[in-house]
Amino acid sequence: MKPPPFDYRSPSSLDEALALRSEYAYDSVVLAGGQSLMPMLNLRLARPEVLIDLGRVAELAEISELDGGVSLGAMTRQRSAERSDLIRGRAPLLQQALGHVGHPTIRNRGTVGGSLAHADPAAELPAVCVALDAELVARSVASERTIAAEDFYLGFMTTALAPDELLVEVRIPAAAGLLRTAFVEVARRHGDFALVGVAAALALDDAGVITDARLAFTGVAGLPVRATDAEASLRGALAGPEAFAEAAGLVAGQLQPRTDAHATSDYRRRIAGVLARRALEEAIS
Amino acid sequence: MSSVGAARFVGQSVTRIEDGRILTGHGRYMDDIVLPGMLEGAFVRSDLGHARIASIDATRARSMRGVIAVITATELDGVVSPLRVEAEIPNYLRPVFHALADGKVRYVGDPVAFVVAENRYLAEDARDAVEVDYEPLDAVVTMDQAADSALPALFEDVGSNVFYTEAMNFGEPDGAFAEADRIVSAMIDSARVTHVPMEGRGGVADYRPGTGELTYHAGSQAPHAVRQALIELLGHPAERVRVVIPDIGGAFGQKAGPSREDLVVCAAAKLLGRPVKWVEDRIENLAVAGHAREETIEISAAVKDDGTILALDAKMRLNQGAYPMLGTPAPLFGWIVRTMIGNAYRINHMRWSLDVYASNKASYSAYRGPWAAETLAREVLIDRIAHELGLDPVDVRRRNLLTLEEQPTKMMSGPTIEAVAAIDTLETAAELIDYDGFREEQRRAREQGRLLGIGFSTYIEPAPGPPDFFAAIGFTIGGERAVARLEPDGHLTVITTQAPHGQSHETTLAQIAATEFGVPMAHVRVLYGDTSTVPYSSMGTGGSRAATMASGSALHATRAVKQKALAYAGNMLEVSPDDLEIVEARIRVKGDPDSGMGLGELAAAVYASPPEGEESDLRSVALFNAPTGGGYSGGTHVCFVEIDAETGIVDIPRYEVVEDCGSLINPAVVDGQVRGGVAQGIGIALYEHADYNEEGTFVSSTFLDYLVPTAMEIPTIGVTHFESPPTDEVNYRGVGEGGTIAAPAAVLNAVSDALGGARVEQLPLTPDRVMALIDMAGERT
Amino acid sequence: MSVEVTVTVNGEQRSAVVDARMTLADFLRHELGLTGTHLGCEHGVCGSCTVLVDGASARSCLMLAAQAAGTEITTIEGLAVDGALNQLQQAMRDSHGFQCGFCTPGFLMTATELLRENPHPSEEEVREAISGNICRCTGYQSIVAGILQAAELIYE
Repeated sequence: MKPPPFDYRSPSSLDEALALRSEYAYDSVVLAGGQSLMPMLNLRLARPEVLIDLGRVAELAEISELDGGVSLGAMTRQRSAERSDLIRGRAPLLQQALGHVGHPTIRNRGTVGGSLAHADPAAELPAVCVALDAELVARSVASERTIAAEDFYLGFMTTALAPDELLVEVRIPAAAGLLRTAFVEVARRHGDFALVGVAAALALDDAGVITDARLAFTGVAGLPVRATDAEASLRGALAGPEAFAEAAGLVAGQLQPRTDAHATSDYRRRIAGVLARRALEEAIS
Repeated sequence: MSSVGAARFVGQSVTRIEDGRILTGHGRYMDDIVLPGMLEGAFVRSDLGHARIASIDATRARSMRGVIAVITATELDGVVSPLRVEAEIPNYLRPVFHALADGKVRYVGDPVAFVVAENRYLAEDARDAVEVDYEPLDAVVTMDQAADSALPALFEDVGSNVFYTEAMNFGEPDGAFAEADRIVSAMIDSARVTHVPMEGRGGVADYRPGTGELTYHAGSQAPHAVRQALIELLGHPAERVRVVIPDIGGAFGQKAGPSREDLVVCAAAKLLGRPVKWVEDRIENLAVAGHAREETIEISAAVKDDGTILALDAKMRLNQGAYPMLGTPAPLFGWIVRTMIGNAYRINHMRWSLDVYASNKASYSAYRGPWAAETLAREVLIDRIAHELGLDPVDVRRRNLLTLEEQPTKMMSGPTIEAVAAIDTLETAAELIDYDGFREEQRRAREQGRLLGIGFSTYIEPAPGPPDFFAAIGFTIGGERAVARLEPDGHLTVITTQAPHGQSHETTLAQIAATEFGVPMAHVRVLYGDTSTVPYSSMGTGGSRAATMASGSALHATRAVKQKALAYAGNMLEVSPDDLEIVEARIRVKGDPDSGMGLGELAAAVYASPPEGEESDLRSVALFNAPTGGGYSGGTHVCFVEIDAETGIVDIPRYEVVEDCGSLINPAVVDGQVRGGVAQGIGIALYEHADYNEEGTFVSSTFLDYLVPTAMEIPTIGVTHFESPPTDEVNYRGVGEGGTIAAPAAVLNAVSDALGGARVEQLPLTPDRVMALIDMAGERT
Repeated sequence: MSVEVTVTVNGEQRSAVVDARMTLADFLRHELGLTGTHLGCEHGVCGSCTVLVDGASARSCLMLAAQAAGTEITTIEGLAVDGALNQLQQAMRDSHGFQCGFCTPGFLMTATELLRENPHPSEEEVREAISGNICRCTGYQSIVAGILQAAELIYE
C-alpha cells in the first residue's frame, strides 16, 4: 500500500501556499496532519497530481485570544489544542472532544483544521464547531471569507471550501455563558470514529434555569446536525432529569442516520437520545 | 550431591532468548530481508467475487519504469503445475485450480497477475496499469446459495458447490431422544473472521541461475510442507530446493501450509533469474490470506428434567470459500468437531451431519482451534438447557461432566480419554470466583437496573491428542523428531521441527535441553526452520503439538547425547558412566565436585577422536510419539459482563481461566498463550467479522472495518494453573489454542445470563444486536 | 519527483534523495536500513510503525519522509544505552511482554512517550495510552505489566 506518484510542494509561507492552491486547484490536495490523507494515499483512494504540504507554514499554527474567544490556526496540532490553557478556559468543549479523537499518537500529528476540512461524518471536531457557533476562515489568493460552522458542512465529506481556498483559521467566539459542556460518544472500540457522538453546551442562570443550549451530533448524517427541537425545549427549563429526558425524546425526530457495517440507523437514532441525556447530565455535573 | 533435578530451568519463567533481538529492533522479518539484485512484486487481484476473465492486457504495465515482468497464468503454464487437494477424501469434491487465476476469478482478491519491479512502489504503479476485462457471473455467497444448484458452480470440473456431506450416528440416538423429558435446541451462527497476524504473509525467492539453487525465505509454520509444494508443483529438483524461515510476526494457522502466492513468487524468481520478494499488505491480508469460523451448528439435546443429557443431534455447515487450502482440507475440521463435541461430558449418543460448501469467498484456513465450533455450540446449548429447565448452569455441567473415577472412558466418537480433570477445573473456577456471591451481587444489581452476567465454558482439546484421536479423525500425523548435537566447545545445539512465530520455543526447548544436559541456558542454541538441517515434518508448528512433541523429542535427543558424552567421559576417566553427572557444564563424579572435566574439554577430545560408530558431534535424533494416555488439555473459562442497557455496549470487567495443561515448562509463556487466545476469542464474540455483501464484495477491508480488540477492550485475565497428576515424564501439553476455543462461548453465555437467559446465538454481538436482544428480553418479562 | 531529506535518526544525521511519495517508515527501513520499525497496516491503525518525531510519537506510515526533514527521530534501535537494554526494555523482557515481536517497536515508542509524560501511570492510564497499538499475540496484559514495571524502574 504505497502512495501513487505526485509532485510535492512544501511552501514556507501562507502566500506561497495560496498561490499553489490557486495554480493547481482540483489537481492538488492539501497535506495538513496527514492522519486522514495519508491512509487515502496509501490506499490509492486519492491520486492527486500535486500535494501541497502545509507543515512549514508556521503562521498557521498559532493559538491566540480573540475578542474574548480563541483563534486557532488551521495547522494547530490537536495535541497542542488539547494542552492549551487558553482553550481550556475559553472553549473546554473542544478539549473534551479531543480526548475522543483517535489516540494521542494520531493527535500529535493531526491538525484541527485538517479534521475540520476533511469533514468525516463521524468526526468529533465538526460537531464541536457547530455547537460553539465557530467561524471558519477561508482564504484564497484573491479573497478571505468567514463561514459559520453550520454553513461550512454541506454533505458527506463536502465543505464549502472552493478548490482554490485553504482553511486558515478557526474562530471560537466568547462562550456567551455556554460554560457547562460535555462531549459524549459511543464507539465500537476506544478511539474509533463515533457511532454517534454529541457535543453539549448549556448556559445556566443563578437559579439553574437553562438560558441557552446546544446539542450538536456527529455520526447521524453526512454532516453535523444540531438538534434544534431539543435545544428549544431546554431553553427556559430547570436543568435536571425531567428537562433532559424531554430533550432526549425530541432528538430522534430530527436525525436521519444511515446504516453501515457498524450500526443500523435505528440503533443510531435510539442512542442519540440516550447520549444527549448523558451529555447534558455530564455538562452540569 | 545428587544429579541435577529436572526442574532447574523447567518450570520457571525464564526470560526469553528471543527478546534480545525483539526488544532492540534487530529481529529479521520478511520485509527486512534484502538480497543483491532483489526485485519486489505485487499481485493484481480480482475486485469481483465471481467472473470470467475475458482478457488481461499488461502492455502498458510492462512498459512502465522499473517493471521487469508481469506474470499471468499464461506465463506459468508449464512452470507451475495445476493444484488439487492431494488427500483422497471420499466424497470430497477436489477441483483443479491454478496458482494464478486461469480463465475465472472466484473471490475478491483472487490473484490474476504478478507484477515484478524494482521496488514495491513501482510494482503498485504497474499493477494499476494492468487492465483485466471481466464478465461477471452470479455470486454464490451464502451457504444456502451454495446449496442451490440453480446458481453457477464455482468449479466446472466438479459441477457443484456442495463439496462434502456426511451423516452418521454414534450410539443409539433415536432411542435416547425417545427417552427425553424435553428437547432443547440452539442454532449457533458463528461469523467469518480472520487471523490478523500483525505481520502478513510473504516470501523471498532466491534463485541462483548459476547453480539452479532455489532458496525460499518463507513466512511459514511448516517449511517442509512449503518445500514439498515447490518440489511437486514447480517441478524443481528436490536437492536444489531449500526453505528457510525468518522471524515471523504471528500466524495462528494462517501460514500453516503452502499458498498459491508462494508458488508464483518462486516461479517468478526462476523465470527472471533474480531474487523476488513479495510482502502482503494489510488490505491483502484481510481479504485473501485466509478466513475461518464461518460455520453454523444446529444442535439439540435430549435431556431429562434433572438436566442429564442423553443425546445430541448436531448439524454442522461450513463455508470453505472458493479455493481449498492444500494441506488441511476443510472437512477435517468438521471431523474434529464431530470427534470432540461430546468433549469431557457423559454423552454417548449423537446424530451428526456435516455439509461443506464452496462460495465466492476467501479460503477457509485453520485458525487457532479450528474445531472450536464444538465447544461454542455445546457450551451455549448447556446454558440453554439450564435456562429452559430452571437449573443452574454450573449444576448442569456438574451433572454431565465425566469424573476422574469414571475414566478411562471411551468417547462415543472413538478416542479414549483418561485423567481428564475438566470437572475439577469447573469446581476450582466456581470457587475461585465465589459463584454464589456473584449471584447475590447480580440480584442486587438487577434491582438497580444494571445488567450483570456470568458465563462458563468448560472444554478439553487435543493438545496434541493421543494416537486414537488421530485415528478417529482419520488424519495421521505421527511422531516428531529433534536432533541434539554437541558443539566443539561443549555447547549444545538442539534442532527442532517447530517453526515458532511467538511461541517462545527458542527458550522453552532450551530450558528442557539445558536442564536435561546440565548446562546453563546460554550454552544451548535451538535451531529451526531450515529444511537443509531440520528433520522432515509436514506440520511444523500447529495443532498444539509443541509442548508435548517438540519437548519430548528435544528431551530424548538431549538425553541420548548426554548418555554418549557420559560414556565417553567414563572411558576417559576410567569411571562408570553411572557414577558421572553433568553440572554447570562440567562432567564430574557424583559427590566429588572437583573431579572430572569441562564439557569443552570433553568435546575437544570427542571431536579429535569420536567413539566407534559415532559422529564427532555425538548427534542423536529422537523420534517422539505422544503418550498413549493423556494428550488433552482443558479448563474452564468464566466471563463476567456488564451490559449498558441503553447502548448495548458489552463490557468485560473480569475474566478467569482455570486451565490444565499438565506440567509447565515456562509459566509466563503459558499465561501469555492463554491470554492471547482469550483476546482472540473475545474478538470473535464481540468485534470481528470478515464480511461480504450480496455481490460477494469483501466489505471488512481495512482495520477501520475489521475491528481487532485493543488494550481497552480486553480485560485483565486471571489464569490459574490446575496441574493434574502427571501421567508421563513428558507431561507438558499444548495450551496455545484453548483460549480461542473456550472464550466465545463464555462471552455469549455471560451476555445471555445478563439478559435473563436470552437466546444468544449469533456472532459477533455488535451493540445493535445486543440492543435487539435487550428489547426481546424486555418484551418477555 | 525526488526530494532530498536530511534527518537526525537516533542521534545521527542521515541524508538521502528519495521519491517525494516515500513514507517515513519506508525511508527508515529501506533507505537507512533501520528495519526495527515495522509496517502492520499502512493506514494508521495498528501502531507497529510508531516512532518518535522531535520526541512526540507518530505513525511513520502516515508521514512522508519529506515531512520529517529537519526533525530528530528516535526508533526502537535508539533505545538501548551503550548496547545495553534500557529500563523499559529490561522491564518488558522481565515481564515477558511480547511473543512474536512484530508489534513491539510501536509499543516501546508509545510507552517511551507515555512514561516521559506520566511517570506514574495507573493501569487504566497505561491501557488507554496503548489502545492505539494492536497486539494479536499477548492479550495486552503482559505489555501493561511491563510498562508499569518500567515506571518503577525508571522513577524509583
